[in-house]
Amino acid sequence: MASTTHTPAIPVDGSGSVPSTSLRQRGIGLSLIGLGGAMVAFAGSLSAAQITADGGAAADVAAIGLWTFGLTTAAFGTAKFGIAATLLAIVRRITARADSIKFALPQLKAATGQVMATGEYDSPLGAVTVTDDAPEPLLIHRFAGIMWLPMLAMAAMALYGGFVLSLVASGNVATDPQLAASQRAWVQGLQFLGEGLVLSGISFLLARILGALRASGGEVQTSVGLKVHTLRMPASAKAFVVLMMAGLMVEIAQLVGYAYVAGLSDAGEIAVASTFLGPLREFGLGLLLSGIVLALATIARALDFQSTRLVSIITRGQ
Amino acid sequence: MTTSIRSDFDVETSTAAFAFNLPQRAGRLLWAPMLGMALMAFPVGLLIAGVRASTIQQGGDAATIAALGHFGPAVMFIGFAAVFAAVSFAIARILGTLRNGSGLVQQATGGTVQALRMLPTAKAFIGLMAMAMMILVGAVIAHFIVGAAILGGDASALASAETWSIRLEAVRRVGVIVYLVAITLGLATIAEVIRFQAIRLRELPAEAAR
Repeated sequence: MASTTHTPAIPVDGSGSVPSTSLRQRGIGLSLIGLGGAMVAFAGSLSAAQITADGGAAADVAAIGLWTFGLTTAAFGTAKFGIAATLLAIVRRITARADSIKFALPQLKAATGQVMATGEYDSPLGAVTVTDDAPEPLLIHRFAGIMWLPMLAMAAMALYGGFVLSLVASGNVATDPQLAASQRAWVQGLQFLGEGLVLSGISFLLARILGALRASGGEVQTSVGLKVHTLRMPASAKAFVVLMMAGLMVEIAQLVGYAYVAGLSDAGEIAVASTFLGPLREFGLGLLLSGIVLALATIARALDFQSTRLVSIITRGQ
Repeated sequence: MTTSIRSDFDVETSTAAFAFNLPQRAGRLLWAPMLGMALMAFPVGLLIAGVRASTIQQGGDAATIAALGHFGPAVMFIGFAAVFAAVSFAIARILGTLRNGSGLVQQATGGTVQALRMLPTAKAFIGLMAMAMMILVGAVIAHFIVGAAILGGDASALASAETWSIRLEAVRRVGVIVYLVAITLGLATIAEVIRFQAIRLRELPAEAAR
């Protein structure tokens, strides 16, 4: 393997406008903070398990269980905020990448080939629409642009508010078990609503990435005077939206369920309801995560289509 | 293939587009089966929880309730292990698409194809993902073992069912947080690759003109 020295392009042409790495680093930092919080809770949980194994006081185990739950869920949320920050970095860099393509493509493009008629055709990556102008953003892209930040803000309130409440409830276990049981239900309901909201915020950021890819693809093609080829919304993107909405509704339903449990005084009824509500809230998160997988798969497809389109413009001018 | 040294990025060079590497090929193949597995496991986990709640309400057998208390989370966390794996594989697929697609564009210009060498964040992403998967699968297996022992009439397993629940829940949580950190690192890798592409694209016209 030979070794050569390559001098990178001096950013006089505008490459200095490519966003720096700070948002990405903050994302990683937030995730590591989440990891630290979860490890503290892990140690707490192991001590609760040891107390149980030794036949210790149930109140002690309940108190530890409360704050470790609150801390772990807040830690998960913090790590997910890290994911959201990283996605925001990706959105910004996709815009910078589109600017770079707009800079380079006029100089790389082959002489304009045969002009394609507007309409639709099938490609290996799915149905493609050909239009004269850049496509308008889809409803989900507009909605995502508005909603990602409020979702994350509400998530932060629910997650960290729930964590504070878990500390309060933990202190009430010995003195007022009834109140602690009620607060425990609120902690679980609130924090998992927060988890649902943060995953929804992440989903909206993924939709923003898809919107940015669509918009930048249109801008690039019009900038070199070509007809605009755009992938039609694939089934995976539609399923992503459905799963996200379903998951969020389940998380709202579990909050309602826990609000009901918070008003119960019979330990048997609380046990029955909690037995079902715990997995229900996890089911909701599972739906949201499944939607996120489909969003990522759609992004991969959109990127694949962009590369194919760029190669076509460079080699055939169409 | 030659090694090209840039002061801003560690790259490898070629005259042709780079293909998907092994983790990226695995990502392209496995994201969908993993998602399918998760979508099957979640409803089953919920169903087991419903059966357990109903058994508690009817004052059912304590061993059955305790065993279901282990089988339910086990199935639910098969779902989580699978869905987090699907997320990770989808990220690997995106990285492969970026690597291959960027190469095809550079190749089309007739210039040298440059691709980032595997970033430290990418290596950590793969390592942590594997670790998280093993933690979650280990916890799932332990849940099944404890549940089976309880159903098999093991009195000590029944007595320690709650202790094991707390322990395994703690282990599952560690698995989830490690997965979340891995996913952040995977996405951070995507962000860095796109940044490289944005810079590399601006170099292509000058190279093509030579």
